[in-house]
Amino acid sequence: MSRLARREARTGYLLLAPSLLGVGLFLILPVFVVLSLSLQQWNLISPARWVGLDNFRSILSDPDVRNSVLVTSLFVLIVIPVQTVLGLAAALLLNRRLPGSNLFRVVYVIPWICAPLTLGVVWRWIFDPSDGALNALLGQRIEWLSSTTLALPAVAAVAVWSQVGYVTLFFLAGLNAIPAELYEAARMDGADGRRVFWHLTLPLLRPTTFFVLVTGVISSFQVFDTVYAMTRGGPAGRTDVIAARIYHEAFEAFRLGRAAALAVLLFVLLVVVTLAQQLYFRRRITYDLS
Amino acid sequence: MPMTPTSSPTRDRQTPSDRRTEPAARKIAARRVITNAATYAVLLAGALVTLGPYLLSFLTSFKSSRQFARDGALSVPSPPTFDNYAALFGGRYDFIPPIAITVQVVVVVLAGQLVFSVLAAYAFARVRFPGREALFWLYLATLMVPQIVTLIPLYTMLSTVGLRDTFWGIVLPFVFGSPYAIFLLREYFRGIPEDLINAAKLDGAGTLRIIWHVIVPMSKPILATLTIITIVSHWNNFLWPLIITSSEKWRVLTVATASLQSQHTGNWTLVMAATTVAMAPLLVVFLVFQRHVVRSISLTGLK
Repeated sequence: MSRLARREARTGYLLLAPSLLGVGLFLILPVFVVLSLSLQQWNLISPARWVGLDNFRSILSDPDVRNSVLVTSLFVLIVIPVQTVLGLAAALLLNRRLPGSNLFRVVYVIPWICAPLTLGVVWRWIFDPSDGALNALLGQRIEWLSSTTLALPAVAAVAVWSQVGYVTLFFLAGLNAIPAELYEAARMDGADGRRVFWHLTLPLLRPTTFFVLVTGVISSFQVFDTVYAMTRGGPAGRTDVIAARIYHEAFEAFRLGRAAALAVLLFVLLVVVTLAQQLYFRRRITYDLS
Repeated sequence: MPMTPTSSPTRDRQTPSDRRTEPAARKIAARRVITNAATYAVLLAGALVTLGPYLLSFLTSFKSSRQFARDGALSVPSPPTFDNYAALFGGRYDFIPPIAITVQVVVVVLAGQLVFSVLAAYAFARVRFPGREALFWLYLATLMVPQIVTLIPLYTMLSTVGLRDTFWGIVLPFVFGSPYAIFLLREYFRGIPEDLINAAKLDGAGTLRIIWHVIVPMSKPILATLTIITIVSHWNNFLWPLIITSSEKWRVLTVATASLQSQHTGNWTLVMAATTVAMAPLLVVFLVFQRHVVRSISLTGLK
């Protein structure tokens, strides 16, 4: 290596040093620490003890953990289809580019930039059975958040409400990337609106749909703030999502090992779900428009 | 009338053989008016559902508890009162420290992220050194680790070194730059012509001068995007500050709002004043820079 190249290399490492420190200490090291913690029993006070796979055994047979996996899966199964369909519908309407469309686009994104925690508090008030705005509007007294059947859909509705504008933006960008000539060609061939949507628009939006689904699933599986603000996991554990369970295990019950094992489990679950989505989309043809 | 048949854009493209008769064209125009009206109706309903909660919570924050109890959740405050805000600031509660802490957290994280991400991205984009590609892939790989997985280890690590319940505990995991920012910046920097950098080198400029005088001025749009992403995500951050702090002294706005809400269940006029205060600064930033924010989101998937 020449002296010049050596000097350039040194510059490179120096420039990289701070971020390497950050990435190493706060992103890579924690992955190893969480794996090691998941094999120990520790309550933050008495010394930690190695217990092998005991934590995994105990969480896998814990009904509360099973419940939280079920609750989180249900939450994802409600939120993802609803927000994707609504987001796509909104994007198609905005894409007609009637005057004022930009204003609507901006309005729809507003909830996305606000803190989920703060919005959760606002919605907790709106759903309040006696003083809330929703029951005042309906003229009914419905126990939204303390009902075992309504609580999860209510929390999911808030998640959809705050994310749908964001999904819309992505679909709008996707629609913009479809060349207008393709639509003209389809119309020349006599395709009606419905056929154009199913056989042209939707297939060409596939990369966008994939992105929106994958990122949506990953973030929905980790939902915490909205639940914390609205229900704290209640009633009777009906909104006790995995992240809330991890929080409870670690910082309310002080079982760090079990909490770490649960975090590892969630990580594995996310990897599996993401790979499954990738496989599903890979089987279908994607079209390169670039 | 914008809907007259002659102004229809599809008309020009029609071949003479299928040119429609006047009544048919009028029918098409009428149908278009109806679809447009339906589109607006749906879009408007969406906007109403989106903005309703903001409007209602805003109105509620200007009511006294008595007005709220008497007139209900949907009424307009008459007369509007600032009592809830007075109580939040200097009255029974002190919401100024959480705002100050949040601002400090955002400023420190923003400064760190911008500076260190720019340096790292420049190294990845324009400096040759052994292991560059491998390190870049390592950075990218960390993007796949969900935040919730690193939470517990970060807590135990920072507690071990005595940073639990401190300002640095809140910011330290985020100040050294983020792989995501580095990735976006690297892509952008690679688009800057190498000739410009070489010319600066010939003029005897060192690396830091090149970054500051050539790269940064040419990268303003992406830097603005990163600034917005960082401000929004750290203003809104809740779980990490909730975990790493315990004393009232280091409460950020989200944590303060949550604790106010749980201490004063039922006192909704006060709680809605708190949520309004917590959201207002970001909403102002958003409305001022909305064009840029909207573009940033679709560019990067702001989270």
